Amino acid sequence: MTLLRQYRIAAFLLVLLSIAAFAASQKDLLLLVSGGAIAVLSWYVTEGPRGRTLPSLVSNGLILLLLAWTLVSFLSELALTDSTAVLGRFLLWLLVIKLFSVRAAYEDRQRLTLAMMLVVCGCLETVEFIFAALVFLFLGMSIWTAMLWRLHASYEAARESRRRDGSLLPPPLEVSVGRRVVPQFRRVAIASIVAIFAGSVLGFALFPRFGESRGGRTDSESVSGFSDRIDLLANERINESRRELFTLRWIDPTGDALRSNRPIYLRGAVLDRYDPVTHRWEVLRTSNAIRAMRTPRDSKFVALGPGIPDTTGGVWTAEITMRSLATSVLFTVYAPFAVATDESYSVAFDPATLLLRDVGTDHVGRYWWYALRVQPQPSPQMMETLQGSVDSPRSDISFPVAGLEPIAQKILAEANLAGLPTAQDARTDPTLRWMRNRETARAIAGWMRSGRFQYTTDLTEFRVEPGEDPIVAFLERNRFGHCEYFASGLIAVLRTLGIESRLVTGFVAIEYDDSLEQYIVRESNAHAWVEVRTGDHQWTAFDPTPEDSLVQISERNRSFVDNFRWIYDRVEFLWNSRVVAYDSAAQATIADRVQSEWRSAARNGYDSLRAQMRAMVERFSLGRAALYWFAAIALAVLAAMAAWFVAHRHLLKTQVRAGLRSLPRQEAKAIARDVGFFADALELLERRGLSKPASTTPMQHVATVAAHAPSAGVEFARLVERFYQVRYGGHRLSVRDREETRDAMERLKSALATGR
Amino acid sequence: MQPTMHATRRRTNFGSVGFVYCIAVVVVALASVNRPNNLLVWIFAAMLVALLVSGVVSGSTLMRLRAQRIEPRRARVGELLVIRYTLENKARFMPAFDLHVEERSLPVGLAAAGDAWVLHCGPGDSVHAESVLRPSRRGLHRLPTFEVWSSFPFGLLRKRLIFERPSDVLVEPEIVPLMPNLLSRVARGGLMGGVRASVEVGGGEDFFGVREYRSGDSIRNIAWKRLAGTDQLATIERSRAVPPRVRVVLDLRRATAALRVASGVDPRALEEDAITLAASLMALADRQGDEFGLTVLGLEVAAIPLRRGHFHRAKVLAALAAIDLDQPRDGTASLRESAERATILFVHPDRADTSVAPSVGWNFTASQLPSLRLPLEPRGRA
Repeated sequence: MTLLRQYRIAAFLLVLLSIAAFAASQKDLLLLVSGGAIAVLSWYVTEGPRGRTLPSLVSNGLILLLLAWTLVSFLSELALTDSTAVLGRFLLWLLVIKLFSVRAAYEDRQRLTLAMMLVVCGCLETVEFIFAALVFLFLGMSIWTAMLWRLHASYEAARESRRRDGSLLPPPLEVSVGRRVVPQFRRVAIASIVAIFAGSVLGFALFPRFGESRGGRTDSESVSGFSDRIDLLANERINESRRELFTLRWIDPTGDALRSNRPIYLRGAVLDRYDPVTHRWEVLRTSNAIRAMRTPRDSKFVALGPGIPDTTGGVWTAEITMRSLATSVLFTVYAPFAVATDESYSVAFDPATLLLRDVGTDHVGRYWWYALRVQPQPSPQMMETLQGSVDSPRSDISFPVAGLEPIAQKILAEANLAGLPTAQDARTDPTLRWMRNRETARAIAGWMRSGRFQYTTDLTEFRVEPGEDPIVAFLERNRFGHCEYFASGLIAVLRTLGIESRLVTGFVAIEYDDSLEQYIVRESNAHAWVEVRTGDHQWTAFDPTPEDSLVQISERNRSFVDNFRWIYDRVEFLWNSRVVAYDSAAQATIADRVQSEWRSAARNGYDSLRAQMRAMVERFSLGRAALYWFAAIALAVLAAMAAWFVAHRHLLKTQVRAGLRSLPRQEAKAIARDVGFFADALELLERRGLSKPASTTPMQHVATVAAHAPSAGVEFARLVERFYQVRYGGHRLSVRDREETRDAMERLKSALATGR
Repeated sequence: MQPTMHATRRRTNFGSVGFVYCIAVVVVALASVNRPNNLLVWIFAAMLVALLVSGVVSGSTLMRLRAQRIEPRRARVGELLVIRYTLENKARFMPAFDLHVEERSLPVGLAAAGDAWVLHCGPGDSVHAESVLRPSRRGLHRLPTFEVWSSFPFGLLRKRLIFERPSDVLVEPEIVPLMPNLLSRVARGGLMGGVRASVEVGGGEDFFGVREYRSGDSIRNIAWKRLAGTDQLATIERSRAVPPRVRVVLDLRRATAALRVASGVDPRALEEDAITLAASLMALADRQGDEFGLTVLGLEVAAIPLRRGHFHRAKVLAALAAIDLDQPRDGTASLRESAERATILFVHPDRADTSVAPSVGWNFTASQLPSLRLPLEPRGRA
């Protein structure tokens, strides 16, 4: 296939890639299918047997219509955040229209520019791995296509310049002699692509960054399904992703990994503030007792607070191995006492919420593995030691939504709670209070799980009346929703009844792999539940969401593809943790590491050298003059190396000039040692503008030299004779021969200088 | 073949594509700073490195390229001048792609009409390229410099190798197709220049002599009367026919400024037309098999004797091409009497002047050139 034909195909593939990449950035399958199908159709229409293109009038009309449609859609939405998406769609359809245009050089330029702009639009929208993979493919392809475009454009320009005269043929596309064009082009193109990618890695690493990578954090939170914020007005259908985020090994105090008979809740965020205006749950950041600690590098456990007794015995261990989630949150099982990580990290522990967060400033990317020592049912003394005085019970419990009191009383009545202490008794007696809290929460959660509410992730039918709170709507009218609604409803009722509670988000581990003896946590296992205060330093988890629904979610959409997802997830995790989350901290870490590695390598080398020198001084009893001896030896070695390098280079040069490369290596080296004079003569002639063409024999070249300077021709003829004797006659130069050739060279020099 | 040469100078320039590309790089850089997005940062880094790689690749492809212009011999006004170049890639591994060859600092009278372009020159390969010039003025022109440039791989940078290799090209005057019966009217039926018999034996029609019959002689040439009288076979020999002879006398005795022309007429253009007419007359004579010669009056140009053939024609045209109209004129020059038998055609730039020579001749003026020209046949539609 000629390069001309390759260019057409490469340019078309590049356009297809840009369409696919933008559709991936928008996660719009319809856009991919429709845009891609029309683009493929354009290939058949324009490059097919008939080769038809759209008249410019029609294509311009279509472009005007597209522009009008884009303006209308932009003005109707009036959302600046979507402006990139609107622009991208405009570019995509403009590109598709341009595919049906004539095949002119300026149209090609426009198409390639549009494709590049489309990809940049996609980059402004997302940094997801699948999109990034397409972008990298696009980059490689665009380098290849740009090189082909350069050749194609030059060919067209040269042909066009000759067409004006009409009397000459276009220049040849393929040369008639020499090695093949396409393989050599391929080699140059691949080398360029590799160089650009290698250089771009360096540029990416060195690009100045200020602060933490927002892209990484946003991305990690959006892809995981886990969030430290809940929006109850987002009426949408949640896709249940099967992406494998991490694995959990649950180890009992004896050291055996086992499967718990209940789901394991992995806490990620504690949301304790509900905003009745925005209908959002948020983190109330009031704790200022955050403890920062540094974990050791060798996976040893470090206690999460001072005064915590030995945590090696009688506690459970949760080992978490990340697969595709890059986040700063360390998901914990209630209640953690110690943490261990694969590398040394800076970890912040909030004693009020018992949450852990990686605040590392000296690591690259995110962690791979960590383990927690936990006590599922800790003693009050232990919790007091762990938390201190930061988590004291509150007395003013309420929920900022009007109209919940009758609903709570109604539910309380339906839950059939009998024998509970009264609110008055609970206020005076803490034991009764904690019992009341526990029993009330258990009863209401059980009531919610009893089939009165329907679990669904499709909230498109969830209607909220004007002025109505979504939680009220959930409890009173709709009675369907997902875990966030169940948890919000339970908290609303409990707080209305004066029971202190909070919403927790994270993951629930249900799916257990018996062969690996570990839980597999997927994106669809993101969950929200409720914690109720059941002691001065005690919180108990209650999950109002039907457990069957959680299992169903876990089992739903299960396919054999899940067995291989871990491969893709692993790569995606690498992308998220090493690239997307790469920020100034990671940059500083790399710089420190490189610096320290170099420094230590230099120091080690220096120490090793000194040790060797000392050993030699002692062995040979060199005494104080040892330094001079070593310096002399080093200089001699350096000089020998330099001499060898120069001689070797000269030998290679001689082989090339004398055309000895086709001979066996040893034979070529042996002859090259004797025909150095011939190479020198050729070099001398070349400097005088008499270089020997490759197609000319040395003896033929004598005539050229003689025409320039007759005496030089005579001397050069002598040297050529001698060269022939060595090269083809098997002659070896004697000392006398060498002197003669040296004299002939001198005469050649002077003859060329005088021009005689 | 002349050996290829090193480049005299090397230059690197930004093209328009490179300029637009730099703007795009800046835009992506601003976007990646404004919106901390590591993918954009990566793209920015790749674009920046692509610029660097572009320079390195284009530089290394041209690093060991040698080139030579193959000396153009002749050119003619109105015809395309094809200049050939030899490009030799001395590199061991790196092929060269997208090589353009251009003449730089072209003199007035030579215009570029087609670029020389080579797709590929592999390592150790030697290829040829052709560029096309359009000569518009007669004379000796100097081609001072040519350059080989490439914007491979991405068109962002243009690397140029400049070869200062002056060479001269002689541009002959334009040859206008004249009416074919022009010379037959003035020469064949003329007083001195018609077909005549030569003093040598040849294949003509005139009687030359009789000799003894030799085996192989044609029976048609047997002298029958002599056979009847002497009873011996004899063969009639014919004399060689000599074609008509034409001497073109170009009258350049008057200085350009002294030419008698109407106002608004460029006298130098008339002189050039006179040279064109002289060249065209001799080309017509050559085409019709006549012998022709040239005499230029008023300038130091040696008279060219009457001959015919390809080399003679080239000699005559070269003499016309080399005429320097800025030289001082000899107003007293005249055509000397000689025994030469030829039709004399006087070509004057301005007006006919019978005082040029005592001989009888035909006078033409430069202004007659359009009327003597063979009308062009309209092209039919394909």
